[in-house]
This record gives sequence, C-alpha cells and structure tokens, in this order.
Amino acid sequence: MQAPDLFRQQLLAAVPRLRRYARSLTFDAGTADDLVQTALERALSHWHQFDQRRDMLVWLLSIAHNAFLDQRRRDSRMRFVDPAQADAQQDLQRADPGADVGLRIDLMRALACLPLDQREPLLLVSVEQFSYAECAEALGIPIGTVMSRVSRGRVALRALLEGQPRPEAVRTLRRVI
Amino acid sequence: MTPTPPPDRPDDARLSAWLDGELDADGRAQVDAWLRDHPEDAAQARLWAADRDALRARFDPVLDEPMPAALRQTVLQAGRPAAAPRAAWRQVAVAAGLLVAGAVAGGWLGAQVAGSPDGHPLASLSLPWADAERVRPGGWTHRAAVAHAVYAPEVRHPVEVNVAQGTATEQRAQEEHLSRWLGKRLDMPVPLFDLRAQGFELVGGRLLPDASGPSAQLMYQNSGGQRVTVYLRKPEPGAAAAFRFQRDGDLGLFYWVEDGFGCALVGKLPRAQLLALAEAVYKQAEDQIQPAPQGHKPAS
Repeated sequence: MQAPDLFRQQLLAAVPRLRRYARSLTFDAGTADDLVQTALERALSHWHQFDQRRDMLVWLLSIAHNAFLDQRRRDSRMRFVDPAQADAQQDLQRADPGADVGLRIDLMRALACLPLDQREPLLLVSVEQFSYAECAEALGIPIGTVMSRVSRGRVALRALLEGQPRPEAVRTLRRVI
Repeated sequence: MTPTPPPDRPDDARLSAWLDGELDADGRAQVDAWLRDHPEDAAQARLWAADRDALRARFDPVLDEPMPAALRQTVLQAGRPAAAPRAAWRQVAVAAGLLVAGAVAGGWLGAQVAGSPDGHPLASLSLPWADAERVRPGGWTHRAAVAHAVYAPEVRHPVEVNVAQGTATEQRAQEEHLSRWLGKRLDMPVPLFDLRAQGFELVGGRLLPDASGPSAQLMYQNSGGQRVTVYLRKPEPGAAAAFRFQRDGDLGLFYWVEDGFGCALVGKLPRAQLLALAEAVYKQAEDQIQPAPQGHKPAS
C-alpha cells in the first residue's frame, strides 16, 4: 500500500530541514541530496511505521542518520570533500560570500575533524535545535550520552578553532588553574 | 560551615546542557550563580554559544535553496503508477539529454553534468523524446528555425539592436534598452541570457512577428563566428511542452514551453554543444522569467 497524500505533504514540508542536516553531515550538495533521496525513499516505503503523534522531523533525521551510517559502512573508501572547497562552492551558489569567509572555512574544517559520534549530536542540538530527548531518539542513544557527546564536541570544536590539537589537554589545564 | 554552600563548578556536560536549556530551574540557577562569579567560565559558555550560532548561520541558507525537482518528484510520486508530472520529467529530459550529449562529447561535457545540482543516476531511464523529430512546418519552432536561417548569415544587419558595438558603457546601455524594449513588446520579461561560459557572446536582438503577436530573437556568436539564436514567445494557453530536440536540415533546435513562455535555441552546431547552450538558457529562464510576471512595465 502506498503512502497517503497527507504523509507525502508532511514529508515534502520536512525536505528543506532534511537537506540542511544532510548538508551538514556530508558538506557536499550533491552527496547530501543523494542522502536525502535515500532517506525519502526509505520514509515512503516505511510510512506505516510513522506514528502521527510524533515529530516527523525526528523520525526523518533518524532515517537519514541510519542511511548515512549504512553508506559509510558500504563504501569505506568514501571520498571526503574538502570542506574548504565545498564552502567555496556554496559561496559561489549563493553569490554572497559574506564578511567572514575565512572564519567559516575554519569552522567547516574544524567540524569535519570532529568524530561522527560527536558531530551528529552537536549538529542536531545546535543547528536543528533538537532537545536532548529528540536527539537521543533520532540517534538511538541514551540522553546522558547525548549530553556528554554534545559537550565533548563543543570542547573539541573550540580547541580546533583555536588551533589547539588536543582538546582534552586544554580542559585539564583549565581545571588545574 | 557556611549556611548555603557555594555551587559546585559545573563540568563541561553540565555547562553545555545549561547552554542548551536542558537543566531544570534549580540546575539553571546554580549554573547562573557559578557563572556570575567565574567570568572565565562565562566566557567559555559565550564562545560555545558563538560556535553554535556560527554553525546555524553556515547551514541555514540551505533552507532557502530551491528544492531539486528530483526530490519533489520522489516525495509526490514514488510508488505511484500514475504518469510523472510534467515539470519533473522535463527535468529528467534535460538530465538525460546531458547523458546522451556526454556520451557524444565525452569529457568535454562531463564537468557540466557533475556540476549540475540535480545530477543523479539516470542510466536506466528511457529517453522521453524519439530521436531527432523533424520541425513541423507551420509550427512556431518552424518560425524560430526560419528566423535563424534568415538572420544568422547576415553580415551587416544580423540584429536590430546591437549590443556588441561601442564602449563598455554603451554596450551596457544597449543591453538594457534591448531587454526593456523586447520585454515591453512581448509583455513578458526578456532576459539577455549569459552564454559566455559556453563561449558565446550576445550580439543583439530583434523583434519578429509570430503567429498572433510579437516574438523576440536574441543572437549569440562565438570566437569562431558561429551563431546561435534564442527565440522567445508567449505560448498559447495549455501548450506547455517538455524539453525536446528537433532538426530542420542541418539546423538543430532545442525547445520547451512553460506556462508563461516558449523558448527555442537554434543553431548549426553539434547536438551536444546545442544542448549545453540550451541547458544554460533553460536554467536562466527558470530563474528570470517564471517568477516575474509582476512589475515588468518599464517606460522605454
């Protein structure tokens, strides 16, 4: 049985945010939309599993998360797009590089350096503005784990942006002071 | 012993949860109190907040990007037996055309396919056009082909308004005049498509008679002196047609019809090269003609 119209309309409304999340995971617009395409196809073929009382986006980003992991497992040789290059590409598309191109390139590089298990919770909480509970649901991990991974991601990102290669050492030092 | 012990130093996870609004009222008050007395930790939290805002600012623009037709198509049509909507299969037609052209032109066009935001695997799709249908005499594409055949060989008067003469300032003024004049006469925006990425400079344009009103012809020329023309007209209601290719003798012609305009690209060039040009025109027309029936009433 095929997905009903209401479901399709809800799905369509969620596509922009799904694309944003995919872009923040993969950096490259084409790769991101491939991931979006996969997630949408899975959502459509499992529409009956969606509980209408729940948040469509949490469900959808959970599917995208799993699709992304599958893709990485399947293709362990997955090429990583240079974030600086992807950034430049996006700037071209927007034709408005903004005032802080240098800063954003650094931000993308730093983000790309984060381990995925920190990057995903950090993005879901920061960019998607998910609660820890929603983030836990989307990623299939306990709330306490979300909390610690988000904070470790923040510390690591800051350390990378400040040019400090070992985030753990930084925090330890501060603790001594 | 103090009556109320000072709050413990919040660890990273707690400070982070505070920033995310994940603490209950008591927890929040404790962290608030700690940060009041410890400016270095408050500064840390501000930096985290700044990073969060920077991440949002970096990815929020994705929300405003136009949705690729292939994704919309997937959501609305996947699993349905009904025919695909016109807009989506026109998109497919363009992409499939690129594949064919890519096979013809090899690596030359490969970069453009890779650069297309809507590029996706299409190998299993059959082409929506029967190969190289003939231009139908009496149809508007025939008029486009004839207009090309008449004016493209002209040496002295290929166009009515020439934008390739004079200083850069004069050229810009002529371009503006041409676009406004044709726009006013056709009663629709007539963008001067930029085909420089494909090696073609705008020569100028002219007004032409179509079946029941005016049409516009824009002429482009490359460094080898080869010319292509773009023919723009208002379509009959309900005449929308997908991206197609026609031949008339040694002339090739890509055309498509939207709700607001019909457009043909004509030239005596290899099909792959014509397609690259037509695709550039198609993209620019989507951006510049479709959304703008409003506000185009210039006083020429």
